[in-house]
Amino acid sequence: MLALSAPNFVLVQGVIIGLGYGLLAVGLVLIYRTNRVLNFAQGQVGVIAAVFLVKLTADFKFEYWFALVLSIGLAAAVGALSELVLRRLFNRPRVLVMVATIGLSQVLLALTALPFIRPHNLYKPVPVPFDLSFTLGTTIFSPGEVLTLIVAPIVAVTLALAVRSTSWGLNMRAMSENADSARLSGVWIRRTSTLTWTVAGALSAFTAILNAPGQTSALTEVLSPDLLLFALTAALVGAMINLTVAFVAGIGVGVLYELLQWNISSTANQQLVLFIVLLVVLLVRVRALRKDSRSAERSTWQHGAVRVRATVDALRNRISVSGMWAAACGAAILPLLLNVGNNYLFSQVCIYAVIALSLTILTGWAGQVSLGQFGLVAVGAVMAAHLGASVPLPLLLLFAGAVTALVAIIVGLPALRLPGLFLAVTTLAFAIFMQEAVLATPCWTVPGIHKTLCTGLPNPASTLIGRPSLFGLGLHSERAFAWFSLGILLLSILAVRTWRDKGVARRLIAVRDNELGAAAMGIPVLRTKLLAFGLSGFMAGYAGVCLAFATERFSTATFDPTISFIIISMVVIGGLGSVAGAVLGALYLEGLPALFGANPTIQFLTSGLGLIAFILYLPGGLGELLHRSADALTLGVRYVQERWTTHGPLGSPPGAATTPVPAVPGAETLTPEVVES
Amino acid sequence: MSGPGSRSGPARLTVENLGVTFGGVRAVDNVSFTAEPGAIVGLIGANGSGKTTTLDMVSGLVAPRQGTVRLDGTDLVDYLPEERERIGIVRSFQDCRLFPELSVLDILMLCEDVKREVAVVSTTLQLPWARRAESRKRAAVDEVIGAFGLERFRHHRTAELSTGTRRVVDLASIILAAPRLLLLDEPTAGIAQREAEAFIPLLRRLHEVADTTIVLVEHDVPLVFELCSSVVVMELGRVVADGPPDVVRADPRALAAYLGASDEAIFASGPTAAGPKGVSATGPDVDGE
Repeated sequence: MLALSAPNFVLVQGVIIGLGYGLLAVGLVLIYRTNRVLNFAQGQVGVIAAVFLVKLTADFKFEYWFALVLSIGLAAAVGALSELVLRRLFNRPRVLVMVATIGLSQVLLALTALPFIRPHNLYKPVPVPFDLSFTLGTTIFSPGEVLTLIVAPIVAVTLALAVRSTSWGLNMRAMSENADSARLSGVWIRRTSTLTWTVAGALSAFTAILNAPGQTSALTEVLSPDLLLFALTAALVGAMINLTVAFVAGIGVGVLYELLQWNISSTANQQLVLFIVLLVVLLVRVRALRKDSRSAERSTWQHGAVRVRATVDALRNRISVSGMWAAACGAAILPLLLNVGNNYLFSQVCIYAVIALSLTILTGWAGQVSLGQFGLVAVGAVMAAHLGASVPLPLLLLFAGAVTALVAIIVGLPALRLPGLFLAVTTLAFAIFMQEAVLATPCWTVPGIHKTLCTGLPNPASTLIGRPSLFGLGLHSERAFAWFSLGILLLSILAVRTWRDKGVARRLIAVRDNELGAAAMGIPVLRTKLLAFGLSGFMAGYAGVCLAFATERFSTATFDPTISFIIISMVVIGGLGSVAGAVLGALYLEGLPALFGANPTIQFLTSGLGLIAFILYLPGGLGELLHRSADALTLGVRYVQERWTTHGPLGSPPGAATTPVPAVPGAETLTPEVVES
Repeated sequence: MSGPGSRSGPARLTVENLGVTFGGVRAVDNVSFTAEPGAIVGLIGANGSGKTTTLDMVSGLVAPRQGTVRLDGTDLVDYLPEERERIGIVRSFQDCRLFPELSVLDILMLCEDVKREVAVVSTTLQLPWARRAESRKRAAVDEVIGAFGLERFRHHRTAELSTGTRRVVDLASIILAAPRLLLLDEPTAGIAQREAEAFIPLLRRLHEVADTTIVLVEHDVPLVFELCSSVVVMELGRVVADGPPDVVRADPRALAAYLGASDEAIFASGPTAAGPKGVSATGPDVDGE
C-alpha cells in the first residue's frame, strides 16, 4: 500500500475541517433522532446566520458579539420556523420529507438574498473577534481557524451537557426511543421537536460562521454534495443516534481527507481511496444500526408509492388510454411548431423524463433511495463519448444500457445488506466519485498489468461529440433529435408500463413491502433487488447516451451530483411509483423554468417553496392530480351519457354481461360504443 | 432435481430433539413430534411456550441450536427458507401482513411467479411465449379467485382489506403454492369468534384440495380439537402431551399445562367435539360469504 506521512500541520488542518463536519453531523443526527428526518437544509440554515453576521458588522457597524448573538438567534428562529412548516410531513414517507428539506434548502438560499439579510458587499469576509494566529510547519493558521479550534469543542460540549441534563434533552431522548410512549408519558413532543430544530438551527449557525472565514463569497450554497457526504458519513458512523460518535467521526473524516490530500497527488486516486474507506466504514458500522431497536424504521424509507387502485371501470380505462394517445400525438406534432431552442429543450425534457422513470423503478417500486442516479447517467454519457462515432446508435444504446446496468448492480450490492439511508449515502458517494474521479481522468493505467483503460471523458474540460444518424436518418437538426428523444421516451414508458402490468414490478413491490414474507413465499429476494438496480441502471445508461448526444458539448460539470437531487424531486413531485407522474415531474422541473424562466409565478411554483407546497398539499403528486382529473372526467362523461339514455333509452347491448363490473352502480348499461359517440 | 422436492403429495414431517435459546432463555427445548402424511397436527400452548418458534425452525427462519427437522426423511439443515418453500414447505404468518401495496390479483400472480419466474427480456418485448406464460398464470389465478369468492376484491390493495379477507387471500395463495407441508400460524388470530368457526370448513376444504400435511399453531382450542388428527401440547418450550385429540384431552399433564388453567377451555371444547357434524352442517352457509 501507500506509506502515509502525517505532519502535524496536516493533522491540525484536518481537525479544523473535521470540526465543521462534526458539528454538521451532530445537527443531522439531532434532527434525525427526533423526527426521523434527513434534513438537507441543515447547512443552509447557518448560512443565513453567517451572511447576516456580515451584514450587521459591516453595514450596520454592530459590535461583533452583539451581532453574533443576533445572527445565531436568527438561525435558531429559522430552524424553529422550518419545523413548524414541515411538521405535518413527519409521519409521511421518509423520501417525501427528504425532498421537502431539499426544497427548504432552496428557500433558505433565496432568503439569504433578501435585502435586510444580504450585505452590500458580498465578498466581505465573515469577521473574527480577535487577531490570533499561529504557525505550524510551513502553514500559518488564520484567526478564523483558531476560532474554530476554540469554539467548536465548546459548542459540542455544551450541547452534550444540554442533551444529558436539561429537560429538553431528556424529552428529546425519550422521543427518539419511542415517540408514542413518550407522548403517553406526558412528553410534549411537538414542543420538544420544535426546540430540537431550534437547537439544530443555532448549531448550524456555528458551523457556518466557523467555516465561513475561509470562503471568498458568503453567498455560496453551503451544503455541497461533498460536504453533505462527509457529514452524512459521520452521522451514519454514529448510527444516526449517537451524537458523540458522530462528532468524533466528523473530525476523523476531516483528518482522513487532509491526509489523503497531502499524500496522494492525483484527485482521482484521492477520491477512490476516500470512496473505498467510506464504504468499508459504513459496512462495518451497519451492524450498529441493525442492532438498534429502531431497525424496523428502515421500512418507512421504502413506502410512499402512489396509492392508486387499478380501475375496473371500462369507461375510465378508455378515457385514460385515449388521454395517453392524445398526449403522445400532441407531443409528436409539437417539434414541428417549435423553434430550434425550444426543440432542444423538448429533447432535454424527454431525456430527463426517461431518467426520472429509471428512478421510479428503483425508488418508487423497489423502495431503494438513490441520491446518485446522475452518476449512472454519466456512465452512459461516457460510453457515447468514446463509442458514439464508431458504433451504430441502436447498438450503442443497448450496450451502454447493459454496461450501466452492471455498474448499477455493483453500486447496489451494498444495498443488499444496508438499510435505506445507507444506500442514499453510498449512491451519493458514487455520483461524486463519478464526477470528480472517473470523468475527470480520461485514461488511467491498470496497476499490475500496465494497460491503459479509458473510462473518463476524452477531454474533461470540454468534450465535443457529433450526433450520429439513426438508420441513415441524420439527427443533426434539433427537430430530428426532438423526435428521436420522444421516441426513446415513448419506448421507455411502454417498457415501464409493461413491467408494471405484466409481472416484473410485482415482485419488486412485494420485496419492498414485506421482505420476510416475500422470502417465505419463495421469491428470491437478493436477485429481485439486483433486478431493480439492473433495470434502473439500464434505463439511466441509455438516457445518458441520449443526453450526451443532445448536449453535444459537455464537461465534468455537466454531471454535477446535485442534479440527482433534482431528479429525485421530479419523481416525488410526480408521485412516487407513478409512470405518468415521472414524466410530468420532468416536464414541471425541467421544462417550465426554462420555458417561462422570467415569469414570477412559474418561478415560485418550481422553486423550493413550490416544492414544499406541493408535498404538503398534494402528497400523491402530479400523478394523483392526473388520476383525479381522469376520475372527474369519467363522472362528467357518465353524467352526460345517463342524461342521454334517460331521454332516448338504449337497449342493453349483447356484450354487456361480460364486461367487468364497474365501480359506479348503474354504469353497466353503458357501452364502449356510447363513449365514442 | 433430486431430494424431497421431486416427490409430490403430502409429506411426512419429523421433528427430533429440536432446541433453541434466545439470550440464555430456552425458547424451545428438546421438542419432538411427527406429522404423518396428510395429517393435521395442532400445536397448542400458552403464549411464549415456543409454538411459533418451532414453526420458525421448521420453515428455516430460525436456525435450531440442536435437533433435526426432516421432510420425508431428508434433513433440512442446509435449506434456506426460500429453498424449503421450493420443496413444498409453505407458511402463513400470524400477522398476515401480506404486501400492503399489492392488489389481490398481484399477490396471487406472485404465487405463480414463484413456480415460473417472469422472464424480463421476453416480457419487455412481449414475445409470444411470455404472453402465453402470463395468460396461463392468469387462468390459474382466476380459477382460485373464483373458488374463494374473491372476485369483488380482485383489484383491491391488501392494505384496504379486512383481516378476515386477508386470511382468505392468504389461504388462496397457499393453494397456488401447492404445498406438501403447510405451516399455519394462528389462522384465526384477530378474527371474530363467528368468523373463526367459519374457518373450520374452510381449512378442511383447503386440506382436501391442497392435499397436504398441515401443522397448525392456534389458540382456539375447540378449533384445534375439532380439526386436528393429532395434538401437541407445549409448555415453556417443552412438549408435555402428544397424541390424538381424545387422548390429549384426557391427559392430566396437558390439562395442567394449558387446558387446566381454567375449566372453561375444556367445556368450550366439549360441545364442538361432541357434535362435529353439527358444526360442519352450519359451515357451508357461513363460508359462502
